[in-house]
Amino acid sequence: MHIIRTISSKSLFLLLILLILTSMGIVAIAQHARLETDLNEYMPSTHPAFSFSDESEKLFGITDRILIAIEHPDTIFNAGTLEKIRDISLDLPASFPEISDDGVTSLYTAYNITGSEWGMEVGSFYGPDIPSSAESLGFLREQVVSNEMIYGRNISKDTKASLIIAEVDPESDVQDLQKRLINYAESWEGPETLYIAGRPIVEGALAQLGPADMARMFPMVMIVMITVLLILLRSVRDMILNMVIVLVGIVAAFAGMVIVGVPVYAVDTMIPVMLIAIGVAYGIHMHNAIHHEVLKNPDIGKQELVDAVLKAMVRPVFMAALTTAIGFMALMTSQVLPVRYFGLFSSIGVMTEMLLALVLFPASIYLFGVPRTGLTAKTTSAQQPMVRMKRNRWGQFQMRKPGVSIGIALVCTALGIAGTMNVWIDTSFLANFEKDSDIVRTDTFVNTHFGGTSSLNVILSADREQAFKDPEVLQAMDMLQRNVLEQEVVGNAFSLTDFIKRMHKVMHADDKSYSLVPDSQELIAQYLLLYEFSGDPETLESVIDYEYRNANITFQLKSDSSAVMSEIIGIIENHEERFEELGISLKYAGSGYKAFVFSELLLQGQVASLLLSFVIVAILLAMLFKSIWIGMIGTVPIAITAIINFGIMGVFDIPLSSATALISSIAIGIGVDYAIHLIEHYRNRRLEGNTIEEATFSSIRHTGRAIIYNALAVMGGFAVLMLSVFPPNRQVGTLIVLNMATSALGTLSVLLVAIIALDKRGLFIRTDKTSISHEITSQEESIV
Amino acid sequence: MKRIGFRLMASIFVMIMSLPLFAQISGAEVMRHVFERPTGEDMQATLNMTITNARGSARERSIMQFRQDSGTIEKKIMFFTAPADVRNTSFLSFSYSDGRSDDQWIYLPALGRVRRIASDKSNESFMGSDFTYDDMGARHPEEDNHTILREEVVDGWQCYVVESVPIVPNSEYAKTVSWVIKDEWIGLKKEFLATDGSVTRRLVIDAYEKADTVWVITDMTMTNLRKQTSTRIRMNEVSFNNNLRESFFSERQMQIGPRT
Repeated sequence: MHIIRTISSKSLFLLLILLILTSMGIVAIAQHARLETDLNEYMPSTHPAFSFSDESEKLFGITDRILIAIEHPDTIFNAGTLEKIRDISLDLPASFPEISDDGVTSLYTAYNITGSEWGMEVGSFYGPDIPSSAESLGFLREQVVSNEMIYGRNISKDTKASLIIAEVDPESDVQDLQKRLINYAESWEGPETLYIAGRPIVEGALAQLGPADMARMFPMVMIVMITVLLILLRSVRDMILNMVIVLVGIVAAFAGMVIVGVPVYAVDTMIPVMLIAIGVAYGIHMHNAIHHEVLKNPDIGKQELVDAVLKAMVRPVFMAALTTAIGFMALMTSQVLPVRYFGLFSSIGVMTEMLLALVLFPASIYLFGVPRTGLTAKTTSAQQPMVRMKRNRWGQFQMRKPGVSIGIALVCTALGIAGTMNVWIDTSFLANFEKDSDIVRTDTFVNTHFGGTSSLNVILSADREQAFKDPEVLQAMDMLQRNVLEQEVVGNAFSLTDFIKRMHKVMHADDKSYSLVPDSQELIAQYLLLYEFSGDPETLESVIDYEYRNANITFQLKSDSSAVMSEIIGIIENHEERFEELGISLKYAGSGYKAFVFSELLLQGQVASLLLSFVIVAILLAMLFKSIWIGMIGTVPIAITAIINFGIMGVFDIPLSSATALISSIAIGIGVDYAIHLIEHYRNRRLEGNTIEEATFSSIRHTGRAIIYNALAVMGGFAVLMLSVFPPNRQVGTLIVLNMATSALGTLSVLLVAIIALDKRGLFIRTDKTSISHEITSQEESIV
Repeated sequence: MKRIGFRLMASIFVMIMSLPLFAQISGAEVMRHVFERPTGEDMQATLNMTITNARGSARERSIMQFRQDSGTIEKKIMFFTAPADVRNTSFLSFSYSDGRSDDQWIYLPALGRVRRIASDKSNESFMGSDFTYDDMGARHPEEDNHTILREEVVDGWQCYVVESVPIVPNSEYAKTVSWVIKDEWIGLKKEFLATDGSVTRRLVIDAYEKADTVWVITDMTMTNLRKQTSTRIRMNEVSFNNNLRESFFSERQMQIGPRT
C-alpha cells in the first residue's frame, strides 16, 4: 500500500512511464503480432487422433480441396463451357502456386475407362480438341452419364454444372487464397456462373470476416460504454481512467504474446471482451470508493483521500484480480494450445488492470485534486434519498424475504440445468455465416448438385498385407459405403471398391449388373494390375497403400457441422464389429474429422477447467476470508451465472463452440469480483461493529452501486455486438449481456441472502458484540 | 601474368574443342544411331520390376518378356510370373513403325478372357512405373531437335552429351539430356528437365552387357525427383535370335502362357 501511494504520488512521472510502455507495446504488437490462421496449428499434434490423421493424410495424399463449380443455364455440353473447363484445369496450377500440376481433377483431366464387346478403352472424355458438333457433344454426354466414376461426382445429374476440384497445399494462406480465387472465378464468368466452395474458402472467409467485423463493431462498443460510463459516473476524469485501464490491460496482454513469440489465435478476440468487462469493474469500484469518501467528508485532503481509498480498496481489488487471474490460469490445463495461451494472457491483462486501477486513481487525485463529485452531494441530494430508499428497499427485501431470492435463483438454476440439456456441441464454420451470404449460397449450390463440400475419411487398417484384395473385406467396405450413403447428408463415397466395381463392369462390356465386387481374389488383383496398366496408378494411391494393408474411404458430406460428423461416425461404428472379425480396425482422418475431435477436446477442456477454477476460487476465497463457508457461498453467483449461461444457450439454440464456451469464463472473472467486493465490504462494516442490517444497507449502497454500474456499462457496450452482421459476434454480445446481468443480480440477491443467513447463524464472522461502535455508523448515515 | 595467360589459352582451347561445331557428328545422328542400334530379330528375357513409392514401400513384379521385330511391326508379349495373384496375366502389344497407334491386348486368367485395350494416353506410365511408354523405346528421334552439348567420360566411356528438345511441347518435360557412348550408341544416363532447368526424372544405367553381339541394359533405375518415386528394372536370362514363331505373339499364346 505504501508502495502504491509512493508510485501514484509521482503522477506525472507515472503517466510518462505508462505512455512510453503502452506505446512500446502498441508498436511491438503492430510490428510483430501475427495472426495464426492455420487451424492445424491449433491442434495438439501429439494427440493420437491427430497424429493418426496426419499420418493417414500423408499416406493417401488427403488434402483440403477447393471446389469450383461451373454452371451453365442449359447444359455444360457445349463447346464454350467445355473449353472453359479445359482452360481452367490447365491454368489453375499456373495461376496458383498452392495448386500442384497434378492436383486438378475435372471432366478434362479425368480418365474415362469404358468397356465394350471387344475390350476396354482408356482415354480422356474430351480434349485437347473441344467437341463442337451436336453429334460429338451428344456422344460426350452419353460417355459421362454412363460413367458412375464421374456422373454425379464431377458432373451434376442435370448436366448443368461441372466441378473442377483442386487440391491445395495445406501450408497455404487460406485467407489470401480465398480472395484471389474469388477474383479468379469472376474473370471466367458469363454465360456460365462460377461457384467456389470447400473448406479452405470457408476458413479463409471466416479468418477475414470475424476479426473485420470485430474491428468494425469494437469502436461502437467503446462509444456506447463511454456514454454509459459518463452518465453513471458523471465524471469525465473517471471515465477516461476506466478506458485507460481497459486499453492498457488489453495492450499488456497482446504485447505479452509478442514478447513470448506466441501468435494471435482466433479465440484471442475474446481477450479484449473479457478484459473490458473485468477492467471496468476495477475502475468503477475505485471510483465508487473515492466518491463515497468524498461524500463522507467533502473537505478531505488529497493525501487523506488517497490513504482512505487505498485502505479500503487494495485488499478487495487485489484479491479480486488474483482470484480471477488464477481462475483463468485453470484454462492452462487445456490440451488445446490457444486456450492455454488465452488463459495465461488474460491473467496478465487482469493483473495489469488491477495494478493500474490501484495506481491511476490515486495518481489522478494527486494530479487533479480531490474530485468534485463530492461537492455535488448537495445538488444530487434530491435524487439521493430515492436512490438510497430503493437500495434500502432492496436490502430490506433481501433480509425479510430471503426465500424469494433463493426461490427465484433455484427456479432459474433448475431452468438453466434443463436448458443445458439442450445445449448442442457444434463447430461448423458455415454456421458462422448468414443464410443468405455468398459463401452459404455457394456451399448450398455445390451441396445440392454434387456430393458435398465437406469430407470424412475412414481409414481401414488390416493386420496383414494384401488384405484389401480379399473379396470379403471389399464387400464389407461396399456394405459400409452403401449404408452410410443412405444418409441424406452424405452425397458420395469413394474407395477402392469403386475402382474394382468399375473394372468388373468394364470387363463385362459395361453391363450394369456387373457393378459389384467379384468373389475372386485373383480377379480383383488382376483388375487392379490392369488399372495400373491403364496409366492412372496415382488415383489408386489415394485409396490404397502399396501393401494393400491400409485403405481410405472418402465420404462427402453436405454439412461441415460437427454434430453431423458425430452422427455419421455413429453409423460407421455399427460396422466396426464386422471389420474386427476380418482383422481390420477403423479410424478416421481428414481436416473435418480433426476439427471435430478438436471441438470435443476444447469443450471437455473448457468444462474441466471451469470446474477446476470453481474449486480454486472456492479455496482462495476460503483462505482470504479464513472461512470455508465464505469460500462456498462465494462461488454461488459464479455457479448461477454459468448454469444460466449454458441454459440460455440451450434455449436460444446457441451452439457451444470455442468462442461461446470461453464466455463462461466471464462468469468466473466477474462473479469473483462481485463476490469479493460484496463480502469484503460487508465484513469490514461488521468488523467496524455495524449490525447485520446496517452492513447490508451499506454494502448495497457501496458495492451494489458499483456492481450495477459495472454491469450496466459493460452490458450497454456489448449489447452493440448484438447488432453485428456476423452471427458468432452476435452470440458473444448476447451472452455477455446475459452473464453480466445474472452475475450482478445473483451477487446482490443470492449471495447477499447467503451472507446474511451465515451471519445470523454466527458463521460469517466471529464478532465481539462489545466492540460495536455506533459512532461510525451514525456518522456515515448522517452524510448519506 | 604469364601463367594466367597460359591457363586462359588452355581453357579456350578446351572450350573450342568441345564446341558442337567442331564435333564430327550431329546430335540428330547420335540419337538416330541409338534408335537404330541392332537389338536382334527377337529377344527374350526375365524382367524384375521394383516400384518404390515416396514412403519407401516397394512393389515387386516379375515378367517374362518376348519381343520380335520384323522392321515394320514390333511385337511384344509379357507374362507375369509374380506376385502369385496375377501370375499368368499376359499383355500383348504391336507397335507399328508407320506411326499407327499400338494394338494392345490383355489376358486376365481369373476372367478367362482376352480383351483389347485401346488407349490414347501414350505418354503415360508404363505399367504403373516411373517409366513411360516413350522411355521404353517408343519415341522416335524425329520427334525432337537434338544438339550435342559436350563430350564427357562416364564409367570410362567417351560419351556424347545430347540435348533433345521436343518439337511438339509436352507438359511432362521441356527437354532431355542423354549421355550416349561414342560408337556403341548406348545411353548410360538420361535426365528430364523442366522449363526452369530442374531435373524432374533421371534414368541411370547400372549394368549393361553385350549378349550375342547386342548391347543390353540389365539394370536401370528411373527416379522421379518430384514425386520421390523410383522404378528399377533388372533383366536376366537375356537371349537373342531364338527364332520365335510368328504365332507366339497371339491371343492364343496369351492364354497358354510362356511355353515356347
